[in-house]
Amino acid sequence: MQSAETVLLPPFQRPPSQVAIRRVASYEQDLFDVIYETLCEFSSGNRNGSKFQSINGKCVLLKPNFVGFDPLGAMNTHPAVVAAARESFLKLGAAQVLIGEGPALDRDTEAIVESVKLREYAGPLQRMFVDLNVDDVERVPLKTRASRLKELYLPKTVLGADFIVSMPKLKTHHWAGVTLSLKNMFGIVPGGCYGWPKNVLHWAGIDNSILDINAAVRPDFAIVDGINGMEGNGPIQGTPKRANVLVFGNDPVAVDATCCRIMGLLPEKVKYLAGAGTLLGHVNAEKIEQLGESIASVRTPFAVLKEFHKLREPGREKWN
Amino acid sequence: MAPVEVEFGPVQTPNEAKFVSSIGLPFLQAAQNEDGGWGFRAGSQSRIEATSWALLTLRGRDSTTEIQQLGFRFLRAMQLPDGSWPSAVAQNVGCWATSLAAWALLADPESRTAVAAALRWICVDWPRGSSFITRMIRKIAATSQVTSQNHSLRGWGWTPHTASWVEPTAFALIALDQAPKDLLPSNANSRGELARALIFDRMCPGGGWNCGNPMVYGVPGDPLVEPTVWALLALRDEPNRRESLMSLEWLEKNVTAGLGPGSLALARICLETYGRAWPEIAPQLGDQYETSQFLESVPVMAWTCLALSPREGWLDAGAEGRADAVR
Repeated sequence: MQSAETVLLPPFQRPPSQVAIRRVASYEQDLFDVIYETLCEFSSGNRNGSKFQSINGKCVLLKPNFVGFDPLGAMNTHPAVVAAARESFLKLGAAQVLIGEGPALDRDTEAIVESVKLREYAGPLQRMFVDLNVDDVERVPLKTRASRLKELYLPKTVLGADFIVSMPKLKTHHWAGVTLSLKNMFGIVPGGCYGWPKNVLHWAGIDNSILDINAAVRPDFAIVDGINGMEGNGPIQGTPKRANVLVFGNDPVAVDATCCRIMGLLPEKVKYLAGAGTLLGHVNAEKIEQLGESIASVRTPFAVLKEFHKLREPGREKWN
Repeated sequence: MAPVEVEFGPVQTPNEAKFVSSIGLPFLQAAQNEDGGWGFRAGSQSRIEATSWALLTLRGRDSTTEIQQLGFRFLRAMQLPDGSWPSAVAQNVGCWATSLAAWALLADPESRTAVAAALRWICVDWPRGSSFITRMIRKIAATSQVTSQNHSLRGWGWTPHTASWVEPTAFALIALDQAPKDLLPSNANSRGELARALIFDRMCPGGGWNCGNPMVYGVPGDPLVEPTVWALLALRDEPNRRESLMSLEWLEKNVTAGLGPGSLALARICLETYGRAWPEIAPQLGDQYETSQFLESVPVMAWTCLALSPREGWLDAGAEGRADAVR
């Protein structure tokens, strides 16, 4: 598990973060090349705070966002992205790359995983996929007190992983504004302890729970599937929206802030991102080194519910 | 409440019997931990929910009496002083698993005291989501337009002092319904009626249930098989009510594809309980085992064994006790 010293740092003590944006036309493209080359770039650069240097022989956990049956392909992280990331980390020397998810609403994880066709892309699920909802658990006292949770029982697979990669979908969210690599970590909280949905997190405050969870288990890396995202009434009932990007980074806060900017939203106005910017990573664009495509070149404004119109960049009101 | 007439599962086909005897039951027996409990997977930490499902499946199978006794002992040892059970052994706060443990322990005469304490806990555990203060706050908050449901109704939450949800409410209703009357707290009936009304209120517009959000921002939620099954099983003495019929119809239409083996097994149990036929085109559970070994899930294997076996007495354990109490 990470130490509080490496996870919790105010912005002035935290070195700049790196975020890479790659333009991807479709899921049929060779995603392995895109992902592997980008990871190599992070790896060879030995970027600030990156644990890539020590990934050889280690256990990597990929945490995609698998929510439920998704005929439009806008709700779940696409299995092609997950499979290509898995292959890439193995090629980088990881001894084991697990895929773990704990869906929040539907207990039938096997059906969800089959419906996203993970097996077809990544191979047999046994020994590779972990249903985090029913994994063995361990008590974790929380490092922060943003919510009143104080402690959580979290999956041993998550706590035992050497390198955690949050792999969300690029989506707006009807309670939190956006759901990206930080919100995706709700999926590590086990339904087997807290139910379906994990209602205790809602009672503790969604925004504050996101902060406490990510302070306890901060992803080491994030890869956001923004090839086909979701706008409006996400994370389930929104409208598909193509942004044709994959967004990578060694700071999940900076990755999420960049994704907001791609969606035409102000990350500083997203409550939990503003909070995350004080201790967990960089929201400020000046502290984020942008690799690959520029934000401006891939900007794709996403519609948000009227409760979140305040998140829109000035002059972008017409898009909703 | 009128006595419930429970439909038993059909006579097993030879293949089903073979699956249960050669794969299902040996798996469950081998998966029991030394402490007497079962984990969600073989070899994993003993958990209250997994143990309860295993025991409910093994009930009445004489060859497993010793195994069951160990399981009962594990559950009794894990009960918290307030009568509840946590979901994981190290936790010290009770949760929805209390209903399942109480239901499982009904088969054990030595556990009457434990069951009575559990039922008392269930009947004093009020969700906070529908408290007077929360309802007032919701009324003046912007979120009042987000969902459309009757917040004065109250069931049970997954965890104490949160909101009511369909599955934990159904589990609690089943536990109360199955228990002998002499073990029930005095407010069991009134809690039960309120909870039944809540489940009906939370039905999705076209029938069936999801976790308990039938409409969000004016958009109908999609039903899911597992909550639908548990809601229907909890409400099984009102088979002709409009909501029950709509939900059964939804379930029948949705068991043909895209379900995991756990959902399939539960759907079969539910349809057969309501006297409905298992659709011929529904996928076979055994075939799915070939593909994934059910991801080694103890609850899924337990539900599968139940679905493929005659279930005499499974959902009717308390009927005799209730009748005795009435006499």
